[in-house]
Amino acid sequence: MNDLAQGVLEATRLLLWGDRELWAIVGRTLTISGLATFFAMMVGVPAGYALARGRFRGRTALLALMNTGMGMPPVVVGLIVWLLLTRSGPFGGLELIYTRTAMVLAQFLIAAPLVVGFTAASVQALPPQLPDLLTSLGAGRLRTLWLLSGEARLGLLAAVMAGFGAIVSEVGASMTVGGNLRGSTRVLTTAIVTETGRGNLSVALALGLVLLLLAFMVNAALTLLQQRRPH
Amino acid sequence: MDVTLENVTVVRGGRPVLDIRALSFLSGRTTAVFGPNGAGKSTLLRLIGGLERPRGGLVRIGGAAPGLLDGKPPRHAFAFQERVFLRGTVRRNLDLALDLHHVPPDERAVRIAEVAAELGIAAILDRPARQLSGGEAQRVNLARALALRAPVTLLDEPLSGIDRPARTHLLDDLPRWLATFATTTILVTHDREEAFRLADQLVVLVGGAVYAAGSKGAVFRDPRDPAVAELLGYTVLSCDGVRLGVPPGGFRIGAEQSPAFTLEVERVVDMGNHPHLLGRVGDVRVDIRLGPGEAVPAAGSRIGISATQHVSLR
Repeated sequence: MNDLAQGVLEATRLLLWGDRELWAIVGRTLTISGLATFFAMMVGVPAGYALARGRFRGRTALLALMNTGMGMPPVVVGLIVWLLLTRSGPFGGLELIYTRTAMVLAQFLIAAPLVVGFTAASVQALPPQLPDLLTSLGAGRLRTLWLLSGEARLGLLAAVMAGFGAIVSEVGASMTVGGNLRGSTRVLTTAIVTETGRGNLSVALALGLVLLLLAFMVNAALTLLQQRRPH
Repeated sequence: MDVTLENVTVVRGGRPVLDIRALSFLSGRTTAVFGPNGAGKSTLLRLIGGLERPRGGLVRIGGAAPGLLDGKPPRHAFAFQERVFLRGTVRRNLDLALDLHHVPPDERAVRIAEVAAELGIAAILDRPARQLSGGEAQRVNLARALALRAPVTLLDEPLSGIDRPARTHLLDDLPRWLATFATTTILVTHDREEAFRLADQLVVLVGGAVYAAGSKGAVFRDPRDPAVAELLGYTVLSCDGVRLGVPPGGFRIGAEQSPAFTLEVERVVDMGNHPHLLGRVGDVRVDIRLGPGEAVPAAGSRIGISATQHVSLR
C-alpha cells in the first residue's frame, strides 16, 4: 500500500514537474506503437476486407490463420523477428536488430492479425447487399470502400484500439528485438521492467500509471470517434 | 431507353441459370418478369443492372453495355428486394444516391422533397433509415430508386415481405409513382396479381428460359405452354388426348357444355360471402368458386362440371 501511494505521488511529480527522460520514453512509445498500428491498418484493413468478401481457395484457412495470429504471444513474435534480424540471421546484414525499426516491425506483426481479424468480422457483419447497392448507384471502387469503411467503423476503430492496446502494453517483443537501450529503444513497458528489477518500485509504478493514462487517452479519443452519430 | 438481351447465358456451379436467345424490354413500358422461385428472374435483373456479367451474349441498355461508362452515372436505378440502407437518416440515404448519380446539391434537395411528398415519406425523412417498419422501409427503398429518374428502373420483388395493408397501398400507388418518376421499368415478381396490377408487358421466365413475352393480355389469352398456363392460374387438363387450359373462373357446375369433366369433391370451403369447391379431376386439382344461391354439393360426391372458357395448349 505504501509502495502504491508512493507510486502515485511519484507519477504525479514526474508528470507535473516533467522529467526529460520520461517524456522522451513516452514520445518513443507513442511513435513506435503509433507507426506499427498505422502500418497494421494500412495492410490489415484491405486484407481483412478481402478475406471477408473474397471468394477464393484457402480463404477459410487464411482466416483461421489470422484468428490464431490474434492470440500470438508477443514474446514469440519477438523471438522470430530477433532470429531473422540478428547479425547471423538471414536479414542480419540490414543491421536492424536493437533498433526502433525492429521494434516497429515486431509490433506491426503483433497488431496486423488483430486488425485483419477485427476488420473481417466487422465487414462480414455488414448487410451483404451493401456493396451491390453502392455499385448499382454508380460508386467506384474507392468510394465503395470508403463508404463501407464508414459503415463498419465500429469494428474498424475497435481494430485500431485492439491493435494499439496490444502493442503499447507488450513487453516481450520490444525487449527481445529492441534490447531496452537507454535513450534509444527504451519504451514504457521495458522501462517498467528495468525499474522493477532495480527495486525502484515507485518509479516502476509511476511509469505504469503513465502507460495507463496514455492508453486511456488514445482509446478515449478513438471511442469518441467511434460513437459519433452520423448526421 | 430500350433494354435488349441477345444469346445471353449465365452458368453457376456448372448449372445453366439463364439461357435467353432474344429479349427486348420496350422503352417507356413497365414489364413484369414473372416466374416461379429459382427461374432466374433476379439474375436477369442483376445482368441488366451490370452487377453480373453473362458467360456469353450481349446485354444492352440503349445500345450500350450496362454499368459505368466513362465516369458517367449509370443509366439505371435499382431497388433491391432486400431493403438495405446506410447508417444515418432517410434523407442521407436519398442524398447519397443522388450524389452518386452526379446530381448537384441544390437539385438534390428539390428531388428529395418531390419524391418524399409523392411517396408519403416526408414525415420520416429525418428518421434513421435502419429503424423503419417494413412498409416504410419499402417506400424509402423505392423512393431512392425513383428519385434518380433514371432511363431504366429495375425493381426486384417490390412488394415482398410487407404486411397486407401496406402491400395493398403500395399496389395502388406504385403504378402512379412509376408514371411520374420512371420511364422504362422492369420489375421482377413471383406473384401473378402483382405482375398484372403493376405492368403492361409480361415476360414469363421458367428454368432460366423465356417461355412467353408480350403484352399481358396477349400472353394471358394465349399461354400456349402448359407451364405458362399454370403460372397464370389456368387449370391444365387433358381431354380426348388434347391439353386444355381453363382460366380462373372458367368452370361451372353441370356437364351439359363441352368440354365436360367429372369432379370428385374433396372439400367445400366457406369463404364468407361465397363457397369454394375444392376437388380433383383425375390427378388435377380444381377449384371452383360458386355463385350466390348456387346449390352446394356435398364433400365426397362426384359431380359433372364443364369449362365455359378454355385454350388449347401444346
